[in-house]
Parts: sequence; structure tokens; C-alpha cells
Amino acid sequence: MTSATPAPPGTAPKAAPRRVRRHLPTSPWLFLAPGLLAVTAFSLAPFLLTVGNSFTDNRTLVPGSFVGFANFRQLVHDEMFWTGLGNSCLYVLVTVPLLVLLPLLLAMLVRRHIPGIAFFRAAFYTPVVASVVVVGLIWSWMLDDRGLVNGILEALGASPVGFLSDATLILVSAMLLTVWKGLGYYMIIYLAVLNNVPRELHEAAAVDGAGPVRRFLSVTVPALRSTMVLVAALSSVSAFKVFSEVYLLAGENGGPAGEDTTLVQLVQQVGTGLNGRVGYASALSVVVFVITLGLMLLVLRANRKEDA
Amino acid sequence: MRKSREAVRSSRTAALALVGVLALSACTVGTQQVDTTSAEGEVRGTITFQTWSLRAAYRDYFEKLIDKFEKRYPGTHVKWVDQPAEGYADKISADAAGGTLPDVVNVSPDLAAPLAKAHMALDLDSAAPQYRDEYLPAAWNSTKIPGMKGTYAFPWYLNTGPLFYNKRLFDKAGLDPDDPPRTYDELFDAALTMAERSDGKIATLANVPTIEDFGRYGVRVMNPSGTAFTFDEPKGVELLERYKKLYRAGALDSQAFTSTPEQAGRKFMQQSVAMNPGSALDLDKFKKDAPSLYEHIGITDAPNNTGHPNMYVQGLMVNAAGDNKATSVAFAHFVTNAENQRAFAHETTVFPSTEGALDEKFFTEQDGTDKTRVRVASAKSLEKAVNYTPVLLSDDMKTVLQNAVTRALRGDESPGKALHRAAEECNRLLKLG
Repeated sequence: MTSATPAPPGTAPKAAPRRVRRHLPTSPWLFLAPGLLAVTAFSLAPFLLTVGNSFTDNRTLVPGSFVGFANFRQLVHDEMFWTGLGNSCLYVLVTVPLLVLLPLLLAMLVRRHIPGIAFFRAAFYTPVVASVVVVGLIWSWMLDDRGLVNGILEALGASPVGFLSDATLILVSAMLLTVWKGLGYYMIIYLAVLNNVPRELHEAAAVDGAGPVRRFLSVTVPALRSTMVLVAALSSVSAFKVFSEVYLLAGENGGPAGEDTTLVQLVQQVGTGLNGRVGYASALSVVVFVITLGLMLLVLRANRKEDA
Repeated sequence: MRKSREAVRSSRTAALALVGVLALSACTVGTQQVDTTSAEGEVRGTITFQTWSLRAAYRDYFEKLIDKFEKRYPGTHVKWVDQPAEGYADKISADAAGGTLPDVVNVSPDLAAPLAKAHMALDLDSAAPQYRDEYLPAAWNSTKIPGMKGTYAFPWYLNTGPLFYNKRLFDKAGLDPDDPPRTYDELFDAALTMAERSDGKIATLANVPTIEDFGRYGVRVMNPSGTAFTFDEPKGVELLERYKKLYRAGALDSQAFTSTPEQAGRKFMQQSVAMNPGSALDLDKFKKDAPSLYEHIGITDAPNNTGHPNMYVQGLMVNAAGDNKATSVAFAHFVTNAENQRAFAHETTVFPSTEGALDEKFFTEQDGTDKTRVRVASAKSLEKAVNYTPVLLSDDMKTVLQNAVTRALRGDESPGKALHRAAEECNRLLKLG
């Protein structure tokens, strides 16, 4: 309060600021302390421990010793690591473009003022609110060899499809689940930004003879570019770290012969349980972290290049 | 100059951080220095008792049991916690690593082994040898770990696990519903017939073979000293060759490679699979959720080529680092003594592991009901039962084996090569400790 009050004429003008300066260095830290403590305890410390563990052969119940880069060297020769890496990368390559484009189209559809459109907006957003476990279980019942989807296919005279018995189809099903569940979330982001695109630009383009597709490519997309980059960054990170969808549809072993295992699922398989190889699982986690960070940087760099 | 000083400072900070991180990581896990061979002291104080998914069905039984113990030993208090079946090993592992393992823990032999190796389980041969003779020798020895001396859990209830089959599906396929397959030869013949006559629509089994199937088929899964897995011997290869034929004929469910036991059970209830292993508890479930299946349910033993069915053992491990070890030993023994095991066996279809308990009329005489039929048949088969799952077979190793079985059955690899690679990988994991 003292610092905010102007010093009356004739009084020592420097006294108040000095008091302010004396309090300044500690005050921000006090405000930050609760947040910093939480971040340190639940994010920073576990992260540092993981990095430390990746250089040891620690097991869940048995302490190990420092092994240098042995865990990382072992990764190179681990077939399951390459399977996991391949599946995680494929997941990003397939789901990210879909999650960048489909929610945008959906947002453009539901932003129109049509009677009853609020119902569709809510319906598209519902999967985001639903628990991934519940949704995954429902999908696994529907896609079962004797489930609803195959029942319909058989009723139409088609042969049943092994959605949950063929390794490729399991992964494709999990990708579809991820896209379906993520549509509403990214749609809301696009909806918020779409309202800021000046209507005049569309009108001007229309006057110049641009059709809907042309207006979409030349007006909407450039105006939403930074949002699309954000969506790409968010969805690529979560796609690379996918776990629940694959676990629920492919099972705890990661599909037939583990062929659908993703990197995060591999971390869970290797690092948990009474015989968990904590050191090796930590090395895997560090690799996941580095790749995720790389993905983010790549997307941001692409955005910066576009801006330049 | 300033830049280089800054660089030195930041590399020093980085080095310090790295040292700190490594030091911290050394603290994350650690074997406690505890006495695993004695439990001397007064029987008093508070202990925690953890069961494995038993509260929902047997709450009254356990509450009365705990009451009885607390009255018999004044000054004691037992806090009972129950954990769900799913993720049980992970829960124990988190507790053990965090130093919060309960004092008395319900374990199977494969869960007891890593805890014993980490010096967290009390060695009962040293700390409570006076109780050894009360139990069946096979049950007492079920938690002996190769390479270690001692026994690490009080034997509790036993089971062989009945195999259910659908008599209607058997009948429809022209198989005798009153004469289910008892050996693997008979099983494979029946499964191929079922697949052929149902045009591949009805599978006989919903899961791929597990380590227990290898054991029951007559495969020696591990060497006697417990130092190497041997399931890749010719008999094991032969088993996979025969399962491969079943898979190709459609006698295995199409989702057999990824099915969990729950999913397999659901298929059996949907009557798209003709046989499925389970427990006596499943009978009530069939009666309630699948009455049309219940009308045609058949119960038999799992197929066996050795004459020795598989025995599932549950035990009570005493935490060697507990504060009231004497109380924990007294309680674990109290829960598993002949009287209380008999009482528990009357609550559900499990079998006592105490000497002579299986001779009583309850386990030998029929009264015409399904429950009794399962009970008497299972009790009889327990006389010769052995535990085919090596205590050293970890979840990691089970996954390795299942993946190898899948590759062999699909024809990605020859059964011999797949099993050989799996045995090598399991042996590598075994050496890691």
C-alpha cells in the first residue's frame, strides 16, 4: 500500500521505494511457492528420478547399480522397442492429420445458426467428457468378432471382420477411437477461433467469385493456421503417448504377439509388477520424452518458418 | 570471457544436477536390512491383513474371524484391507517399494517369490517351524524358492479349477455330452470335430495354451534346480504343433491371442465357445446371467496327460519388516489353521491345505447337487495335484511365452524356433534376478 501512495512534498521520497525493494525479492516466491512445490513434487522430481534411474539396473524391489548407457544400448537390440516405436510413430502419422482437419470441418458445420444445432454441438462434445475406459470397453464390445458391428455386417451378408483379432485392424480401431474421442475437444478450440475470422474477408472473397472451397483454403485456413499448429502439437504429443485406447482394444499384451504395443505401453509392461525392470523402463521413458519434445519443436519450427 | 565463465557455471550446475539425480535414483528402491528368520515377541499391537478380492463375497466370514482372533489375543487389533483382483501384483509391488506392505498378505507362490528374494517375506521354516506339520507337504513347499532356503507363506486354500463345458454344443456336434475329453488327445479330437461340424462357428477353447497346459501335457517346464526354463523340449514343440492344427481348423476362438480370462468367460456364456476353465463361483454367475447355459452346463477336470492335475495355491505371507511380527505370525497361522480353513471351505468351494482335512465327509460324499459334485471331484483330484507354474515365472516371462505361442500358432515361426527363442529370453530375464 505504501508504495502506491505518492510521497507528499517535503518528505523523503526514497524511503518508500526502498521498503518496496526490500520486500520484492521474497514476495513473488511466496506467491509461487504452492504451485512450485506441487510441480517439483509431482513433475520435476519424478522426471529427474526417471532420468537417474535410466542409468541404473534398478528393479522394483531390488536395488541396482549404475550401468551407464547399457539400458540405452539394450534398447537398440530390443525387438519390442522397435515395434513400439513403429506403432507410436504410425499412430501420430494417422491420427494427427485427421485430428487437425476433421474437427475444423465439424466446427464449420456446427457454427451455423440452424435450429437444434446446440444438440449436435453437445453430441459431438460428449465423447470428450466420457471416460476413456468406458468408451474403450463399449468399442471393444461393439467390435468384438460377435459384436454389434460384425452382427450388422453379417446381417448384410458380409463376412465378419476381425477388428479385435487382427493386429493391423486392432491398431486402426484404436486410432479411430482416438480420433472419435478427440474430435469434440479440438472442435471447441476451432469454434472459438472461427468466430474471430472477420466476416468481411469471406464476403470480399465471395464478391471476387471465390466458391466455398476456395474461401476455405484462402480465407479460413490462413486465419486459423496458428490454431491448426496448436492442434497439431497437442494431438501429436498425445498420439505419441497413447496408452488407454490400445490397452483396452489390444489387451495387456499389446495385441497378438505384442504387435500393437506402443512405446508407453511397453514402459508399463516392462516397469511395473514385482519383477519390474525400473531402470530399463526409465530409459524407455527418457526416449519417449526426447521424441515427444522433438515432435513439439518440429511443429513449432514449421510454424515459425511459415510465419517468416 | 564472461561467456566462458557462464559456460563453466552451467556445466558445473548440469554436472551437479546429474550427480543429484543419480544419488536420488539410488534412493528409489532399496532392500531393507530386516531379520527374515525370526518373529519373536509378544502377540499384541495392530497389524494389517490384506486379502485378494474376497471382501465382496466373504465379508461376514472375515469380520467374525478377526473378532475371534482379537478376543483370543487381547491387546491385538487387525485392520483388514481387500484389494481387487485386477492389478493385485501392481498394488503389492507399489506397497513393497514404498515400504507400506501390509503385515499379512494374501499371495500366490509366484507373488511370494520376488518378495522373498527382496528379503521382505518372513522365512517360516526358521521363524515358525512348529507349524509345518499341520499342513500338506506339497502345500507347505509351494513357496520354496529355487536357490533360497526356507518357506515364505502359510499355505491357505487350494483349488484345482474345474473345466466347464457346454453339453448342448457337444450334443449338437455329435460328441457325447456325458463323456467330456479327459486327456489332450481327446481334447484335440473333440475340438476338431466341433470345428468341422459347426463350420468353424463354434470354437472349443477361447485361450491359447499357458504354462499350466505345458505342464499338464507332460512338458518339463523348468529344470529341477530352477536355473533354466525347458519348455522348448520336444514335448513342448509337439503341444504347439497340435494347437496350431486346432487354430487352423477354427477350433480356437478367433480372439484367442488377445483374450483375457474375463473375455473368454464371456464368450463361454454367449455359448460361442464350448469349454472354458473357471471356478466353482462361476456356477452362480451362469445361473444368474446365462440361465440357458446353466441348463446345459457340464463340469469336468482340465485335460491331463500326467495324471497330476494343476493345483492353485493361495498363501498368507508375513511381512518380515512388520512392526508386530509375532502378532502377524499368530494371525496368519490362525487364519490358516485346520478349524478356520475348514470353516472357509464351507463358505465356498475351496479346499483346505491342512493335513487330513480333505478326508472329512464334506469333501468325499455326494448329495446330488452341482456344488457338491464340483467339490467332491476337485477334492479327489487334489490328492495328486501339483503346481505346474514355476514360482520364478514372472509376468514378463508369461508375456514372452504367450507371444511365442501366438507366433507359432499363426505360422510366423516354427513352434520349435518360437519356443526356443522364448526359453532363451525367459532364461535371460531369470538371470537378471
